[in-house]
Amino acid sequence: MTLLLTLPALLLLALVFAVPLLRYGWLSFHADSVITGLQPVPNGGANWLRLIEDERFWQDTVQTLRFAGLSVALELLVGLALALLLHHSWRGRTALRTITLLPWALPTAVMALGWRWIFNDPYGPINALVQALGLPALPFLSSPASTWLVVVLADVWKTTPFVALLLLAGLQSIPTDLYEAFALEGGTPAQALRRITLPLLLPYAFLAVLFRLAQALGVFDLVQILTGGGPAGSTETLALYSYLSAMRFLDFGYSATVMLGMFVLLLGLTAVLLLGRRWLAGGRA
Amino acid sequence: MGLRSTLRYAALALLLVGLISSGVLWAQRRKPVVVTALMPAPFAQVTAPIVERFNRRHPGIELRVNRGPFETEAISDLAISSLLLGDSPYDLLLMDVTWTPKYAAAGWLAPLEPLLGEDALAGVVPGAREGNRFDGHLWRIPLVADMGLLYWRTDLMAAPPRSPDELMATAGALQRAGRVRWGYVWQGRQYEGLSCVFLEVLRGFGGQWLSASGDRVELGSPAGVAAASWLRQLIDQGITPRAVANFAEPEALQSFGAGDAALMRNWPYAWAELQKPGSPVRGKVGVTTMVAAAGGSPAGTQGSWGFSLVSQSPHPREAALVIAALTAPEVQKDLAQRLGYTPTLSALFEDPQLVAANPVLPELRRALEATVLRPLSPLYAQLSDILQRQLSEVITGEREAAEGMERAQRLSNQVLRASGLGAGGGAARS
Repeated sequence: MTLLLTLPALLLLALVFAVPLLRYGWLSFHADSVITGLQPVPNGGANWLRLIEDERFWQDTVQTLRFAGLSVALELLVGLALALLLHHSWRGRTALRTITLLPWALPTAVMALGWRWIFNDPYGPINALVQALGLPALPFLSSPASTWLVVVLADVWKTTPFVALLLLAGLQSIPTDLYEAFALEGGTPAQALRRITLPLLLPYAFLAVLFRLAQALGVFDLVQILTGGGPAGSTETLALYSYLSAMRFLDFGYSATVMLGMFVLLLGLTAVLLLGRRWLAGGRA
Repeated sequence: MGLRSTLRYAALALLLVGLISSGVLWAQRRKPVVVTALMPAPFAQVTAPIVERFNRRHPGIELRVNRGPFETEAISDLAISSLLLGDSPYDLLLMDVTWTPKYAAAGWLAPLEPLLGEDALAGVVPGAREGNRFDGHLWRIPLVADMGLLYWRTDLMAAPPRSPDELMATAGALQRAGRVRWGYVWQGRQYEGLSCVFLEVLRGFGGQWLSASGDRVELGSPAGVAAASWLRQLIDQGITPRAVANFAEPEALQSFGAGDAALMRNWPYAWAELQKPGSPVRGKVGVTTMVAAAGGSPAGTQGSWGFSLVSQSPHPREAALVIAALTAPEVQKDLAQRLGYTPTLSALFEDPQLVAANPVLPELRRALEATVLRPLSPLYAQLSDILQRQLSEVITGEREAAEGMERAQRLSNQVLRASGLGAGGGAARS
């Protein structure tokens, strides 16, 4: 009976997740490109061998991880600070809550164009400021060393509100009498943060990290518009590579392989996170 | 039933059949064949009055224009998505020159010579005639010509530089004298524009991208390395700002248009922008072909737009009629007069009205005779992507020019070989 009732949901999931995934798996063992006239031709494991030897795939993997790692870490930190600010009632709270949400509501493409202009060298406002201080304009978007940091900044700016909102929900679910009891026992606010707030917030933080990591590992629109993957390929991500392979190069077999490579990566990371969470929970008990 | 009533019924039936069939014919005659064309937003906008006139003159056809995105690659993504699904809503595509081999090889286009004749390109200037044929067929009729140009400031120099060395000397001297902030701006962002910039310089140093046989990339040649290191030197010597590594056309135009640069590489559209009232450099700009070293020839990368017929179109005949009408002399003249678009028909370059309206037209004609085509290959997007990435590494100082170009050549030849289009076995230099 239980199975019967969950069947519609299972079917839907299969249709939305399993079917495309299986199709990708099948495609990854075929040559299907403009050269084959867009017809799938079985080619054994050639796509996978190419993936393993493809320097660009590995460089993009490192760059994708680097981007996702730093931006999610920063989002968690800034998000936590924002959530704490928004949790306690003070005069400017309502205004701040509204302002905080604004970046989240903006379309990524619009925001990316905005950042491209803000960091324009030498006419953008940031460089205007730099030059007003008597310093030479900085090549924010034209140096492989700094451009990925601008992409991280843009991502943090946009998605921190999402993390803050999730953490705020967590904060509001912590009963206030816990804090009152703790204060009566002589605990300081700093101790309360460490002993009560952070441990009880952990499940929410975990959820936020999981969501954000999945999104950040698949980042596409922000990079595509802000840098196009350059300079020197330094901001290209796996999603961008997969998109280029399919839509520009018309190489669908290899594009599917890159996508699956990314999927395996995501699975691995999620497993590590789950294990880490269990370990953290075990350590507390 | 008597004979008379039978006849009466028969007459009535005949009358009914006649009425119905004439009604059907009438309805069909009244219902025009719909031809849909996908164009980038700016083209869709400027051709609106032309489309309206076409529809007035051809009651049997209803031409509808689908307004696509602004950016070249975004249009291609949209077209490809619809073509992949197998039921394209478009009969006609306004295409960039680099798409033709890829789309033709994918089977998305219909050859045009059966519908428009073998001599459909007879009146087209040489610089816009190439890039429309591939694999023995005609796939595209050019509407607007486009080629790389060197813009120079007539108030800062008596004549434009003609060689790479002269460009550096002239620009550097102007900078040292404090007359201009930057010497030369171009498109250095890692995107298609960088390949276009490089191809001109490569030709200027006497090199070529793809071998004449089409199966070998030759970027690692001495000319290829010289071209890449010249671009790098421009930045190292401060003639070109380092920020050029994120410059597309608008950024270069912004710098040159503000009077901050002595020279600029851009397409013909920039001319009209620079001559707008209020432009700080209005009346101070000249246009010429790209510089060339001894042993090379000045060249402008060809970048035209033209119409192609989608092979899935149910109305190829009507769509071909639309192509002929939209690329007709009066349409091209109208676009040139109203908007300064460069025509593709030879005769229009001598049209006195057009020459009067656009004083650089003779210069554009000369530039069109020296255009260089990007490799006509279904794998072009991949080859260009490899080149852009390696060039970006060279101009941002991540890699030396020789190493970068050797790498670009090796990776490109790998792609060609893997797809069976490369030189066989040991014949390929890599």
